Amino acid sequence: MDTYSVIPIRFTLNGDKVSIEAGAHETALTVIRERLSLKGTKEGCGMGECGACTILVDGKSVNACLMAAPQLEGRTVMTVEGLGREGKLHPLQEAFLEHHGVQCGFCTPGLLMSAQSLILETPRPTHKQVVEAISGNLCRCTGYQQIVDAIQYGADKTGGEE
Amino acid sequence: MKSNNGMIGKSIPRIGAIERLLGKPLFSADMELDHPLVLKVLPSDRHHARILDIDTAEAARVEGVVEIFTAEDIPRNHLTGIINKDRPLLAKNKVRSKGDAVALVAALNIHAAETAAKKIHVVYEDLPSVHDPEEALKNHASKVHEKGNLLFTRKIKKGNPEKAFEACAVVVEKTYRTSFLEHTYLEPDAGAGYLDPDGNLVIIASTQNPHYDHSELVSLLGVAPEKVRIVQAATGGGFGSKLDLNVQGFIGLALYHLKRPVMCTFTREETYRMTAKRHPLKMVFKTGADENGHLMAMTAKMICDTGAYGSYGLAVASRAPVHATGPYEIDHVDVECRCVYTNNPFAGAMRGFGVPQAAFAHESQMDLLAEALGMDPLEIRRVNALKAGHKTATGQLLNGSVGIDQCLEAVKPHYENALKTWLHGETDFAKQRGVGLGAMWYGIGNTGVQNPSTAHIEMDGEGRITLYTGCADIGQGSTTVLSQIAAAVLGISPDMLCMVVGDTAFTSNAGATSASRQTYISGNAVKNAAEKLADVLLTEGVDLLKRPKTDLMLENGFVVYKKDPDHRMPFSKIAARAAKRGIPLRWQGYFDPETVPLDPETGEGVPYATYAFACHVALVTVDVLTGEVTVHKIIAAHDVGRAIHPASVEGQIRGGAAMGVGFALMEEYDPSTTRSLKDYHIPTAMDMPEIIPIIIESSEPTGPFGAKGVGEPALIPTAPAVINGITNAVSARIYHLPANLERVLEASIQSGKFTMKEVA
Ligand code: FES
Ligand code: FES
Repeated sequence: MDTYSVIPIRFTLNGDKVSIEAGAHETALTVIRERLSLKGTKEGCGMGECGACTILVDGKSVNACLMAAPQLEGRTVMTVEGLGREGKLHPLQEAFLEHHGVQCGFCTPGLLMSAQSLILETPRPTHKQVVEAISGNLCRCTGYQQIVDAIQYGADKTGGEE
Repeated sequence: MKSNNGMIGKSIPRIGAIERLLGKPLFSADMELDHPLVLKVLPSDRHHARILDIDTAEAARVEGVVEIFTAEDIPRNHLTGIINKDRPLLAKNKVRSKGDAVALVAALNIHAAETAAKKIHVVYEDLPSVHDPEEALKNHASKVHEKGNLLFTRKIKKGNPEKAFEACAVVVEKTYRTSFLEHTYLEPDAGAGYLDPDGNLVIIASTQNPHYDHSELVSLLGVAPEKVRIVQAATGGGFGSKLDLNVQGFIGLALYHLKRPVMCTFTREETYRMTAKRHPLKMVFKTGADENGHLMAMTAKMICDTGAYGSYGLAVASRAPVHATGPYEIDHVDVECRCVYTNNPFAGAMRGFGVPQAAFAHESQMDLLAEALGMDPLEIRRVNALKAGHKTATGQLLNGSVGIDQCLEAVKPHYENALKTWLHGETDFAKQRGVGLGAMWYGIGNTGVQNPSTAHIEMDGEGRITLYTGCADIGQGSTTVLSQIAAAVLGISPDMLCMVVGDTAFTSNAGATSASRQTYISGNAVKNAAEKLADVLLTEGVDLLKRPKTDLMLENGFVVYKKDPDHRMPFSKIAARAAKRGIPLRWQGYFDPETVPLDPETGEGVPYATYAFACHVALVTVDVLTGEVTVHKIIAAHDVGRAIHPASVEGQIRGGAAMGVGFALMEEYDPSTTRSLKDYHIPTAMDMPEIIPIIIESSEPTGPFGAKGVGEPALIPTAPAVINGITNAVSARIYHLPANLERVLEASIQSGKFTMKEVA
């Protein structure tokens, strides 16, 4: 369909092995959203400024809009769809629900990924660490406080489970 | 009133929150259609120019291009606009700003669409452009629109301020300015469209007003109303900008002609270039008080730049002067606000419609008067605060909920404590602390015009209840609140209700999600519908339970005899019987707040049926050597009438305060340089202080369960409180928002706070 060079890419996405072909010019975000039809990851700016496209690559938060698709090769990727599911929310998701950290929800998937990345590294983050970890995720609705509270609370619960 | 079932005032889990946490809801750009065409708009690159020719031949040859549309292709009316129709969907004959849409490309993929858009050759003849509203009003100014550049003037007159000023102990006159702002909702505008099996146009869009979109599409395309269906997708914020027709018209036009699925997703840059901004205002305020601080008179001349198109300019130019007194009683008032066309980007609705700008001025004036009189800023506000029985500048007698004094009372301990201890806790000489106050009032609903809402409620033969509302939930949580209101009336739990929201094929008009009106107005419409159904259930219950109606109530899906709760009848039985007997179980609710149109010369009238009130305290630290301002804490007291869902009210207050911090300190859209999020900064988690919301419930007799609204009020007091805090810190005042580094540094230099001596 297009004339760009196409590269085969294999990686693990939310626990499943995937193997696709993507254009060298494509971003990880278009691969996830358009090729793999996982629409939970959002595009708010396409230039690394908003964090709506945040995913986890080998446990680290990454702006998918800035990552070239071929860089996914061999990596382990998680999107919001891999965090929890209906009836069994991840403790972070539970915490967002309880602390009313969701308004329009457009920033939510990216924030959950940044939070998860933080917790993987720092199971009991301080308030300051939470704020820093999500400083690349813009939210225009909430003023962040209910989100920060949710992440701290969710971290506690996650830690408690482990 | 039937029992409210404990549902009012309860922060139940938000409808849709779990889905959002799982990444499931489909926002417009997430729609999966069968091989959709993608749409790309070619915007004008001229401020003001005649279009001599649009040559699409080369663009049409780009592989993958399906069609290119220009104004000629619009079947019926090419002008759009909710208040005044002046904005072409696609430019006809001339462009008036750099964001005007000139042509629309439909292509198989985005690459083809973008390539083609670049190959459309437009021949322009430049016209002189005007970018300052005061210039635009001069005789020689280039005319943005044929009818002239003055779009609208609103006057408010009461008493004789000039005479009253003479008797004042102190009079303060200052000029205030604000900037263009970008809403910067996280979700860029987007929509999708397809034809249903009957050939009807279905448009799914990110919108604050699906029923307005519907009427606009019918007008553009000249089709029967039933041929168009607008469905509100999950919407990632709006804050006023998604009240305009941003992508819906393009989708409709392409669908109409091509009859194939289409998608239109703006990039962030397109959203910045082609959607509304907040009106910049220039405001000259003169305010006088007697020696006790009683406000005696005020005058204001305001001018607002609506850019190339009106959008909600008239609403802004009405609201700003109506609210210019602030939440205070003043006997002598003369305010005039002019709304002017320029060749700047068009300005429209943005959270607060001009009131945030006006509050910056009136609250700065309050502090200046307090200073001149040697009064405490809180005290001068309390002396003048509106009370029930007072008259506003439009002559409206306030007789319902007026909670400003309670807000001032509520912040008092925090304010006094901050002055006493926090203010003096800094040891770094370069860091000056300040405490500032900002108060506000805000009329709920549209200004002096009818703005009804309708809703339907329906019980099926098995007793299941569905609520239909056209009210767009854009993230603020109206769907949850409306479900609570209906559930409270019907004695059920909200999760027993099926909600059908924002779909013109099924819902009726609830008006715009704007003007903080949905809880009050749509809440009342829903309550009205639910009460009609409740009445039928109770009446039917009389027959079945053989008890008088007054002894019956609705509880947990049953009609219950109050004196013996075991004597009851499930809704399902009542519904089945009613259905058999042909008793209607679908009811419409309606509510339109009682207003009186404002007199064009004096502004006399009743602009709103009720008002929300608030006061914020901001604790700020100013680095006098860099101009950097850190907001340490905001205490935010809001009279919302009744908090139906307190966590959502607090969410609005916190989110509003964040937007207020942005308005105060960092946000400025410069039409010539702002292109993307790289050039426009909104507060991040690092910029946000602790916010302490205080909910005041001064019950509004006409509100659903006493509720008013909070969406816009949340933002309004923040900037004045921050600015007054900065003034308190550096003893110099900023008259132009935002108070960015340069302006704060300049202020600190002027006040002598910045001195090299101390640095050394
Ligand atoms: S879309 Fe990737 S950071 Fe905004
Ligand atoms: S909830 Fe709307 S942007 Fe964060």
